[in-house]
Amino acid sequence: MKIIVDNKACAGHARCNEVAPGLYELDDNDYISTDGFDVEVGQQALARRGARACP
Amino acid sequence: MNTDSVTNAIPSNVPAHLVQDFDLWAALTAQGENAYAWAAKLHESMPPIFWVPSLGFLPGTWIPRRSEELRRILQDPETFSSAGLTPYPMLLGESWRLAPLEVDPPDHAKYRALLNPLFTPKKVNALEEDIRQLATQLIDDIAQTGRCDFNEDFAKPFPTLIFLKLMSWPLEHRPLFQHWTQTLIKSSDPQVVTDNAREITGWIRARIAECRANPGDDFTSYLLASQIDGRPLTDDEMLGINFLIFIGGLDTVTSTIGLFFRHLARNPEQQAQLRADPSLISDAVEEMLRSYSIVNMRRTVARDVQIGEATMKKGDIVLISTELANLDPEVFDQPEKVDFLRSAGHAPHMAFSYGVHRCVGSHLARRELRIALELWLTKVPPFRIASGTTPRFNAFGIFGMEELHLEWDVEETK
Repeated sequence: MKIIVDNKACAGHARCNEVAPGLYELDDNDYISTDGFDVEVGQQALARRGARACP
Repeated sequence: MNTDSVTNAIPSNVPAHLVQDFDLWAALTAQGENAYAWAAKLHESMPPIFWVPSLGFLPGTWIPRRSEELRRILQDPETFSSAGLTPYPMLLGESWRLAPLEVDPPDHAKYRALLNPLFTPKKVNALEEDIRQLATQLIDDIAQTGRCDFNEDFAKPFPTLIFLKLMSWPLEHRPLFQHWTQTLIKSSDPQVVTDNAREITGWIRARIAECRANPGDDFTSYLLASQIDGRPLTDDEMLGINFLIFIGGLDTVTSTIGLFFRHLARNPEQQAQLRADPSLISDAVEEMLRSYSIVNMRRTVARDVQIGEATMKKGDIVLISTELANLDPEVFDQPEKVDFLRSAGHAPHMAFSYGVHRCVGSHLARRELRIALELWLTKVPPFRIASGTTPRFNAFGIFGMEELHLEWDVEETK
């Protein structure tokens, strides 16, 4: 599974990081700092929850 | 303002069977302690979207009750505009707007970008010790008395002091701020609201003038030094952002915390559950945010749209009732039941709204609520509603406790 982030749409709510802190990395202003990443087996449910948390 | 002619007119696009002749806010207020259980039942008795002829002194409005529909509305600012959603500038006969709350995309993001850095999880982490210290002081003052006026002794001063600290505004103005925000948001009398809005804008304009002459390191000076589209903010923009901060930052935690503590006072077994296992406090905060949501916002329909049976016309008003969304049985089993074990971490509740206008202060609010619960349960013995008092609930605009007195048994110290 791969997560693709639409960086331009990020509004800095930081919900993804709060729900799945190890996966969604933030910059100094708590905007998403990655444009995507591969999800390891075992972390897929967490990654999905993090994505769903985005307003 | 001639409210009668506004409230009684039912627009031609509203079919008779969707008109429900009650004022949601007045009805919730009348329900008192039963308000949220009563609101949960609306999901059984009301159409998915219904229309009420008035809300307090505000005109008739559509009320969608389903979480799914409310979420879609919040994610579609092109159809559902936030422009003019508060009455304050209009009541004063002025034309500024509460930015970014009343600003739609794409301009919204420019204002939001000014506020975001002040409320990040990192900023909140840095405030943790201050929050803890302020809460400790307030609680230590009352722990030995065995009784308190919860609003005056804790729920009002706690978030107000943190807010003034965060803004770097004078702490000694606390009583003024408490008075203003309570009456501004909670009063159902347009004259009282207007008078208070005038006083608040007066304070802000004086602050702006002061900071312009002598820039400091406070919030207002920060805004004066900020730019949008490569230009400094106008006076109206300065006023609007500062005014919004008043509304968002002060009363919301006061109101929420009052409802939390009434619940714990009325449910000693759940209070004991948290005392026995403080690691549940974060989940309890989320579950009580869901169970006791306090914010009702509005949107204005910007282009004709059909949702289910509701034909909404440009200019119609739509209520965003976070409590109805969070009591929706399609999302939460037995929604009226407060169950700290329900969410196991992250329930998809809408207490902080959704979409681009989602609450910028949510990280701070959560932290304040968690710390307040932790310290109260550590420092104060099991508390209950004070004998001879009746908690009083008000559901006008932002819901909350008007009166809440608590008592507990104090051990004799020798």
